Amino acid sequence: MDDATVVAVLITIVVFPIIMTPVILYSSKISEKLRNILAVATSAVVFLLTLSLYPTIARGGIVQHTLFEILPNLEISLRLDILSFSLAALASFIWFLCTVYSIDYMSKEHATSRYYPVLIFTLGSCQGIFFAGDLFSLFVFFELMSLIAYILVIHEETEEALKAGYKYLVMTIIGGLALFFGIIIIFELGGTVSLGVGSIIQESSVLAFLAFICFLIGFGMKAGMFPLHVWLPDAHPVAPSPASALLSGVMLKTGAYGLLRVIFNVFSPDLLKNSGWDNVLGVLAVITILLGSAVALTQTDIKRRLAYSSISQLGYVLLGLSVLNDNAVTGAVFHIFSHAFMKSTLFLAAGAIIWKTGIRNIADYKGIGRQMPVTMGCFSIAALAMIGIPPLNGFLSKWTLALGCLDAYMPFYVLILMISSLLNALYYLPILIPAFFELPAAKNGHQHNSHHDHDLKINIEEASPGMLSATIILALCTFFFGLTPNNIVFALSRLTSAFLMLGGSL
Amino acid sequence: MGFADHYPALIVVVLFIAAFLSPLLFRWVEKAAAPFLIAALGSALYMTVILLVEVQKSGPVLYHMGGWPPPWGIEFRVDPLRVFMLLIVISVSLWIFIYAVRDLKHELKKEVTGWYYTLYALLVGSMAGIALTNDLFNLFVLMEICAISACAIISIKEERECLEASFKYLILSAMGTGCFLLGVAMLYMATGYLNYSFLQLELAETLTLYPRNIFAAAALFIVAFGTKAALFPLHVWLPDAHASAPSPSSAMLSGLVIKIYAFALFLIFYQVFPRELLDLIPLNEIILWLASLGVMFGSIYAMLQTDLKKMLAYSSIGQIGYIFMGIGFDHNLALIGGFYHIMVHAVTKALLFMTAGIIIYSTGVRQIKDLAGIGRVLPLTMLAFTIGSASMIGIPGTGGLISKWYLSLSALEIGRPFFVLIILASSLLNAIYYMPIVINAFMHQEDFKTETKPVPRFMLGTLVAGMLFIVLAGIFSKPVVTLLEQGVASLF
Repeated sequence: MDDATVVAVLITIVVFPIIMTPVILYSSKISEKLRNILAVATSAVVFLLTLSLYPTIARGGIVQHTLFEILPNLEISLRLDILSFSLAALASFIWFLCTVYSIDYMSKEHATSRYYPVLIFTLGSCQGIFFAGDLFSLFVFFELMSLIAYILVIHEETEEALKAGYKYLVMTIIGGLALFFGIIIIFELGGTVSLGVGSIIQESSVLAFLAFICFLIGFGMKAGMFPLHVWLPDAHPVAPSPASALLSGVMLKTGAYGLLRVIFNVFSPDLLKNSGWDNVLGVLAVITILLGSAVALTQTDIKRRLAYSSISQLGYVLLGLSVLNDNAVTGAVFHIFSHAFMKSTLFLAAGAIIWKTGIRNIADYKGIGRQMPVTMGCFSIAALAMIGIPPLNGFLSKWTLALGCLDAYMPFYVLILMISSLLNALYYLPILIPAFFELPAAKNGHQHNSHHDHDLKINIEEASPGMLSATIILALCTFFFGLTPNNIVFALSRLTSAFLMLGGSL
Repeated sequence: MGFADHYPALIVVVLFIAAFLSPLLFRWVEKAAAPFLIAALGSALYMTVILLVEVQKSGPVLYHMGGWPPPWGIEFRVDPLRVFMLLIVISVSLWIFIYAVRDLKHELKKEVTGWYYTLYALLVGSMAGIALTNDLFNLFVLMEICAISACAIISIKEERECLEASFKYLILSAMGTGCFLLGVAMLYMATGYLNYSFLQLELAETLTLYPRNIFAAAALFIVAFGTKAALFPLHVWLPDAHASAPSPSSAMLSGLVIKIYAFALFLIFYQVFPRELLDLIPLNEIILWLASLGVMFGSIYAMLQTDLKKMLAYSSIGQIGYIFMGIGFDHNLALIGGFYHIMVHAVTKALLFMTAGIIIYSTGVRQIKDLAGIGRVLPLTMLAFTIGSASMIGIPGTGGLISKWYLSLSALEIGRPFFVLIILASSLLNAIYYMPIVINAFMHQEDFKTETKPVPRFMLGTLVAGMLFIVLAGIFSKPVVTLLEQGVASLF
């Protein structure tokens, strides 16, 4: 593909879902089936188009293209490099699966004619974030996605959801203002905000540090970084499960992506290390990891526990970014992938259980593994990956991160990773063990005799095939992309890391 | 001289003639009155566009009324910034008028509607004059016309609170005009001129001779224009006046009238006062701090309101603060931001007042808490309100962001990042009081039970135009910014 074609494809990836939004909105008036087909088809097309960029990436191509100028020296531009490709492919893949999953899941929900257009619109703006060629375009799409995702958060329209949504909205706006401040400082200091020129800020100054803090606030807020995580455990669980999976699995990563871009394309690793700013990130990362896991332990609602777990997991990515060497960055990028697969699986599985049985409370999970073995099996694979059990992808990312920490002579961080794994085990295993080895609480009130219990037949009642297949595919990704380091995702992470360490622009 | 050379004067004259003819027409051929005024505004718009093209091609033009040269004759000056302001005044008032035609049938008694057209045309004509004139006494006369017609389009509703509000406005505005006249007298005493260009040359020399007179005049001007433009803490008249007026009047007053005074103050600062005076006493600094306070307090007051139109009115006090900040920073980027905000806020606030007008027209609801669920019955109106709110907050993709971008950039440029924080904090405050309205309107849909009247297509069409403009101003802002850059460049 030549550059012009690539640019056309990039524009299509971003604009096509946005154009399809009103179409889907209108089609829901004609028939629900047509609307569902259109939604799935749109996300599939976006995924395939994103994949079609692979040959360009494989030959090391980078495309930077200015669409038009908003203001003098401030433009809307597109960029394709290995980092944006990796994340865009990941996002559109999970988006496609979640859309397929939504069809059955949402059939029990209200206001579906609002849900699908919003889902597809956020896909477009999310791809826009990854393919933005400068900070300002990134900011525009970032805000667009965050604000529209509000509608997903408050979908249930309960008192709780509205409260969580308000918190989300206020935090989003604070984050947006911080980003605005950061970007304007960069523009003032460097005269450009393009991601294609390498490190814009070469030397440390008070203003530059202020900009760095602003970016930390803006993107860190999205990534659930301590102390700006407060909105996340409220907002992610109240959304419908496929939307939770997207919020936690994909949209959270836009924050991490923003930080990657800021660290490598706006500042530079050397600048961060020399001026000691990486310590800020390091300290926050450690607190985020430990705090997220510790609070997850205390949660009784499955989706809230998963949301706190997301905070902790994104802490790993931040940790990798604070260590800033080849292995650590590989680990961080790979963990973005791993966590997206794991957390989407977990949310989709939890959603299937809610859909089928209405159980949200972890105490009621007893015996659920006998009723829904495949769903719970997928849940177990992802949960074990979270803990970091070897043949799964969570292990591979922790291993690489730990290697990076050791390369930088920071064994303390390895210890943190260990403790966090232990904490993960402490809050995931108590879900898994009762689910398979205990019996459901008797429904009609009288107790069975204990020695008959193991022979008790429980009807297998799985969720619908569409939901199940989406969950299984994600669980398989968790497995295959961790089996050996010789897989496409790990290779992409490695190349991305190498590319970023070389400057991330050319 | 060709016919086109008289356009600067004709713009004002056409509107004044229309003002006198429309009540007559309204009495004789009732249906023709509104189209007639639209035609008058349209022709003024046409002439403005021609002027804009001319100015961009061949630079500033001076027009001498009746061929009398200054300093005795009245002079109109046409330069990029003035044409920019003129274009905003004429096009926004044309846009509001198209909306008003239907809305007024509902808000006013039939026999006064013709007079409303008169007042409207007088108001637009005087604002066009203020934008163009290059003479302080002429400015005074036009300001009086503007103030009186503005008072009258509030009190025309003949309700108790409208009368009270317009009386308050009249008193404070008369005080402002008094201060202005006193200031003009002092400058005239010191220099013997009233023409801007002559004054600027002469003041530079007389500054050392009569420093006190000139300082006093500067102080009086700040008070005069501060009162009229509702600069904090001289804003007390605004909330009542803007909230109680008929909705098209509110849109005009909040959207254009306060801005024309801010523009007049800008002209005084940069085309009358010599650079030496601005360097000698911290006039810009005073404006900057008052503007910053206004930006914060306007938003804080707005949060406390329970009436939708009152809230919008207080929000205007905050937003005019941004425009004054543009003057206060004393930097070319800030002026671009300020001017851009004049344009964006004129459209945005007018749009918001129009949506408030439609809500009142259709459902009669005025209280913010009663708006819960209204998005079900008035989806397009509330969408317009949402986009207007987004622009007020400065969400990317709306015009509000561009003005904030330039103001913040100039704050950094002069090394005062503190003021960026003020701008950001006020954006957050805006979000805190606009967002809940939007959310409530689209949630709780079953709660809204008030009966509704269908909204005329015309009114909805004007809303769509406003929304489109706000979004386009946020994305394709370069041509306007280029025009402003060109206009501001001559000042520094």
